[in-house]
Amino acid sequence: MTQPFSARPQDLPTKAELARLRVEYVKDSRLSYLGHLDLIATIERCVRRSRLPFSIGNGFARRMRLQFSGALPVGASSCCEYFDLRLTEPVDAKVALDALRAATPRALAPTSASYVPGTLPALEAWLNRATWCVDLSGAGISPASVIEGIESLRADGKLTYLRGDKEKTVSLEQCLVDYSVEAKPDGGVAVGLETRSGNGAFLRPGILLSAAVERIGLEAPSVMRTRRTFQLHEEDGRLVEPFGPFAESHQTPVS
Amino acid sequence: MRAKRENLFDRLEPLLADVEHPARYLDHEWGACEEQDGPFHLCMVYADVYEVGQPNLGVAILYDRINAQPDMSCERCYLPWKDLSAKMREAGVPLLSLEGAAPLASFDAIGFTLAHELIATNVLETLDLAGIAISSDERDEDDPIILAGGPSAWNCEPLAPVFDAVLLGDGEESIVEVCACIRDARSEGLSRADILRRLAGVPGTYVPSLYDVVVDETSTRWGYAVPRVGEEVPEVVLKRAIGDLSKTPAVAQKIVPYMGIVQDRLSLEVLRGCARGCRFCQAGMTYRPVRERPADQIVSCGVEALLASGHNEISLSSLSTTDHSQCEKMLSGFNEELAEKGIRVSIPSQRLDSFGVDMAAAVAGGRRGGLTFAPEAGTQRLRDVINKNVSEEDIERAARNAYEAGWRRMKLYFMMGLPTETDEDVIGIARLAERVLEIGREVVGKGRKSGVSVSISVAVLVPKAHTPFQWAPQLDPDEVKRRQQLLLHEVRDRAIRISYHDADVSLVEGALSKMGRGGFELIRAAWEKGCRFDAWTSEFRFDLWCEAARECGVDLVATACEEYPLSARLPWDHTSPGVSKGYLQREWLRAVEGVTTPDCTRSSCTGCGVCSTLGVHNVIWGVRG
Repeated sequence: MTQPFSARPQDLPTKAELARLRVEYVKDSRLSYLGHLDLIATIERCVRRSRLPFSIGNGFARRMRLQFSGALPVGASSCCEYFDLRLTEPVDAKVALDALRAATPRALAPTSASYVPGTLPALEAWLNRATWCVDLSGAGISPASVIEGIESLRADGKLTYLRGDKEKTVSLEQCLVDYSVEAKPDGGVAVGLETRSGNGAFLRPGILLSAAVERIGLEAPSVMRTRRTFQLHEEDGRLVEPFGPFAESHQTPVS
Repeated sequence: MRAKRENLFDRLEPLLADVEHPARYLDHEWGACEEQDGPFHLCMVYADVYEVGQPNLGVAILYDRINAQPDMSCERCYLPWKDLSAKMREAGVPLLSLEGAAPLASFDAIGFTLAHELIATNVLETLDLAGIAISSDERDEDDPIILAGGPSAWNCEPLAPVFDAVLLGDGEESIVEVCACIRDARSEGLSRADILRRLAGVPGTYVPSLYDVVVDETSTRWGYAVPRVGEEVPEVVLKRAIGDLSKTPAVAQKIVPYMGIVQDRLSLEVLRGCARGCRFCQAGMTYRPVRERPADQIVSCGVEALLASGHNEISLSSLSTTDHSQCEKMLSGFNEELAEKGIRVSIPSQRLDSFGVDMAAAVAGGRRGGLTFAPEAGTQRLRDVINKNVSEEDIERAARNAYEAGWRRMKLYFMMGLPTETDEDVIGIARLAERVLEIGREVVGKGRKSGVSVSISVAVLVPKAHTPFQWAPQLDPDEVKRRQQLLLHEVRDRAIRISYHDADVSLVEGALSKMGRGGFELIRAAWEKGCRFDAWTSEFRFDLWCEAARECGVDLVATACEEYPLSARLPWDHTSPGVSKGYLQREWLRAVEGVTTPDCTRSSCTGCGVCSTLGVHNVIWGVRG
């Protein structure tokens, strides 16, 4: 776990030279209410507990070299979250996964780990496609009403909403790739969404579906459970999974 | 009536989507005790939000201790923020514990930590949200037994009608005895009144309902408490004190929170008690004697706990860490073990001498943020009055050493309204800050780029129970404001920044610190009017406190600013930390004369009475310099 702090700056390894372990983990049950910053601090502590040879940045704050996929909305769960951890020396990925699992709360359990090229772009920008499952219910909410609401919003091409006191606008043409709606046996509605993010644009499923049902005059859903089910990278019209296989060159800047 | 013990998280969860910081209510943190099988169930409550209460070391120690017992379980509970409280009331969800999400009203006992006086209305809010009667005499036979302890228990009289029993002093052993007593008494089928009688027999346990308040010519207007006729309870309840800290687990704080909390680090208690004898300091009087933990134990347990928790910082906590006789050994041990692991060691405050600066440098590594010193008073005369035992030379030397060691920002803590304080003493604060700034400019340079600055923070003295200043009046709020203005006008250099405590907040704190049992009416009225989270600047409602005081016929200024005769029987005289009243009286007289008293860990016994009364003594592992 040591780091050559005493070395001259020019002697320190650059980030790209360090082993880059990509870890997939879940965000489940109560911990879906964990905000992104708290999640980062929690995972950092899990890594410390795992005793893996993590690398520390050379800046004033000496932060662990750890990057995360895009923030989940608070309250949303996921089976496909990712972080990239830079190690000072490679550890067998299976051994690293076991060590992380033993040091992590069940609701954030790591599920896979594998080394990825050190030169890949930062995770948050790189994983720009996601699929979501949203279960919702409420007075008057049916598959037909949800479809009507979404289509009505789509016709506008964009969605404007308030986040706190700030007005935000997101392009549905860019961010909403596809969707599906079906009735659930319990009377609720299950919605599948495919979204795209990039250039600061991010479509929150909860915002979209609340706006959709409100657009047709219904009250916001009384219950809404959101789960991210896939995260992918879209490049030149093809979709790349988080663990690859990867193209040899990368157009986006290296993090 | 005792509520059913059941997990009600499903009823709470739907409310979390729309509240601020839902991570406050999640539980399942790393290190939390998941097995809560009881059969005896205690819930420790810190009546403020999670991020404020979770770092409390006292709660951590008791949580750890009870959960280590084979047939007892301990859970935690914090007061929800106002947004969730409102939603819970609307949805009919009672206050729940964290671990088991069980209604508070289903527990066998509930223990409140009284960290400060301004937590009073939050205690009432907690009980109300839990559906438990606020006053002890309104509770049903099988309702939970409501316990309290902590630093503010030393004048718990204004809240005495709330608590069934108050634990005085170190709680490690007494909490177990008290819980066992309740458990056994319940299993024997004793009535609630008899359970409380039995609790009064556990050393260090004060049962308010077994004492009457008498007001006569020997007392203040708040009276004094005496055993109720026919009750066999001690006239004076002595605190509990553990003899040897090294025999207790070094690391109590095992829970790693998910969210950022106010002291987001591993905290390890390196010593308990302080014998420096600062005359304003309640902790200094009530946590005696000094009991150090050996450096070897601190380092080995600290390193092990860091690896187990994943924290990247460890705080060596105590009232005065750099006084530890093995402080250097401790810090070098940590530096050796933690080298190049990105882990910081922090100590809460520095002594005003070169040793303190050396220690600060040892823990800071390459970082040089701000450095904090507490001269407390602006002139040597007043520092002698409060027995600070710090000279002008100490301060100058400390400042010079700190600037030479690379620090640029210095923070100085002072108090206003100390007994015998004059305008000259207030102006002395400004002069001292200027002198520290001048030293910085001498060492570093005068240009703006030198970055040399001094911040001064000025609190208002609130005279506290069981201190030599317990008889002293608090400074009138109008006079506080005048002296604050005087200080502001005296500081002319823009590199000196001043912050000071709100005079109104200090006034309420002062009144609550001086009142007797009659103060409960005021607290209850203030709570009924909506006072909550009074320690939060954004939430403190002085107008509501004034309204409540008017209705209760209490004059806040007259209460806080009243001087008690040295011979008067005080509202808290029936509880004792072991420091004799005679010692406090002598210290008060020496204060008025400006005579200092030495630290008994560096000289001979000063006769405070703790050791002989409690059968304990200072435990020092090395030699104090």
